[in-house]
Amino acid sequence: MSVLENLKENVIAGNESKVLEYTQKALDEGIDLEKILNDGFIPGMDVVGSKFQANEIYVPEMLISAKAMKAGMKILEPLLTEAGIEPIGKVVIGTVKGDLHDIGKNLVAMMLEGGGFEVIDAGVDITAQKFMDLVKENKPDILGLSALLTTTMVEIKNVIDAFKEEGLRDDVKIIVGGAPVSEDYAKDIGADGYSPDAASAVNLAKKLLGK
Amino acid sequence: MGRLLDLVKSSYSEKRRIVAPLVGFPGVKIAQSSIKLAQQNHEEHFKVVSSLVDKFKPDIQFVLMDLSVEANALGLNTLFPPDDSATVMKKHGKFGTDELALLEKIKFDSDSRLLSYVKTVELMKRRFPAGVKVGAYVTGPYTLAGLIIGAEEAGLMAARHPEKLEEICVFTNDCIMRYAELLLSAGADAVCVLEPSGVMLGPSHFEKFSVANVKDIVKLCHTADSDCIYHVCGNSTHLIEKMVESGVDGLSLDSKDGGIYLSEIAKNIQKNIVLIGNISPSRTIVYGSPKEVKEEVKALLESMDSFPNYVLSTGCDLPLETPVDNISAFMETGRNYTISV
Ligand code: B1M
Repeated sequence: MSVLENLKENVIAGNESKVLEYTQKALDEGIDLEKILNDGFIPGMDVVGSKFQANEIYVPEMLISAKAMKAGMKILEPLLTEAGIEPIGKVVIGTVKGDLHDIGKNLVAMMLEGGGFEVIDAGVDITAQKFMDLVKENKPDILGLSALLTTTMVEIKNVIDAFKEEGLRDDVKIIVGGAPVSEDYAKDIGADGYSPDAASAVNLAKKLLGK
Repeated sequence: MGRLLDLVKSSYSEKRRIVAPLVGFPGVKIAQSSIKLAQQNHEEHFKVVSSLVDKFKPDIQFVLMDLSVEANALGLNTLFPPDDSATVMKKHGKFGTDELALLEKIKFDSDSRLLSYVKTVELMKRRFPAGVKVGAYVTGPYTLAGLIIGAEEAGLMAARHPEKLEEICVFTNDCIMRYAELLLSAGADAVCVLEPSGVMLGPSHFEKFSVANVKDIVKLCHTADSDCIYHVCGNSTHLIEKMVESGVDGLSLDSKDGGIYLSEIAKNIQKNIVLIGNISPSRTIVYGSPKEVKEEVKALLESMDSFPNYVLSTGCDLPLETPVDNISAFMETGRNYTISV
């Protein structure tokens, strides 16, 4: 197996130490940074996402893969910046006010990173004002809002309404998700997109940016 | 009073269904109390649940659903909002075996809030009208482990260090068993094991961290001639076979919105396991109209007509903001329904 195939397989297996080893090996062999990303990390996380969607793996397996990928990306990130290689888009993501659930949101964030996006994770229990501040400050292409409680799902709408009131709505695409959220609800409240899981969130984000 | 399956079978022979929504918090409004008070004081707690029994006359009444009882008794930081259930705060930092040793020293079963739940069950048993079964909840071993070490950390540990997590789950189950013993001595007719975090696991992990331990809770319940019920929220279809292997008497399953098609599951499950569910708590009961509630309940009941082993219930616990008229519509439709086979 080539170094990049090994990298990909170890991302899938969630083997962090091996991912670090093969990332370093790929760099030592002088493999192009974008090639490491596009033929190692991204296809690895694609497989993980598809297996998760097909119920072949579950949250623990997906978490270790995402963590392994993130660890490897830590080595690559400064080099990518140095080489002037831009991420395919920038995303601010967070869980809305009153809601402390973050496992799903973290998985979405990590899958987006694995898909080539720069991700700014706002954390949990984030107010509409804080989301607006982060968007003004970071100018992301996409804002991702997550909610896990039926009682906090309405907060997604409040955030979107606040963006409209401040005249910021057209500055950013807004995608939403979380267990109680549905495609219909997303449409009703004026979001740009909804995704049921982390893997499709990456496809949605790419589609919205025409990638 | 007799076991759940006997009750379910005898009512089926009379062409009626046992009706038992998972309802607790709406009683706080009816009794003009607060969740915080009720979750900390047994008299107040009893006032809340008995207001539900007076108003809706369910066949089974549970205590308030509270996933923080055991975790709080183990000393974990817990928030008590006035009108929301107590919540365990997020765990920060790593959890090591040193901490487990510290937790083992805690006199878990003399915690006053935990004992207030036991006393509530005692009051329910003594004062409820004959014919109303008393239900209690315990947190599942994997979910309690997740509350102690952090839910994400538990997921990571399941994949990376399963033997460590098994050790923690044996500890959490030991605590749960001590609590369950008190609840059963106080007169609980049924103990429902709440394992919401289990939905994140695949079947083999679920078996290792949850089922292997829940088997002991089931045995304990049976020794007391009581029933044991498994409840996992969300789409637990992939875990049903494993839940059944635990030997439980009933499965309380989430709604169709959560991905659970009850009549399909009923076709493939042994007839001695009681299925409990599964009207959508949020879409139908919180946000629907009484008419919609009636239609959905009727449709669900019709789809279950050929299965004797069924109890009409909600897919999950009803929140505080549930309109009382919708609970009445649920109860009425269930009570007036006649099984057509
Ligand atoms: C931006 O674009 C996108 C796109 C896709 C997006 C997206 C954003 N965000 C998510 N997605 C999607 O992609 C992800 C990956 O594929 C998916 O994410 P999910 O988050 O759905 O899935 C995760 C990968 C795994 N799933 C999860 O992580 C949630 C699991 C369950 C068990 C759960 C957990 C773990 C917790 N909880 Co809570 N919890 C439950 C959950 C029950 C269940 N069975 O689902 C649920 C959600 N909780 C509930 C409740 C009631 C509560 N919880 C509470 C607390 C907690 C813990 C802190 C203990 C813990 C959270 C730990 C953490 N760090 O996140 C309390 C609330 C605290 C608060 N204010 O937020 C508390 C109120 C309970 C209490 N009183 O203790 C219920 C909600 C009922 C409702 N419908 O409103 C619940 C269904 C369980 C239950 N029935 O009791 C997709 O939804």
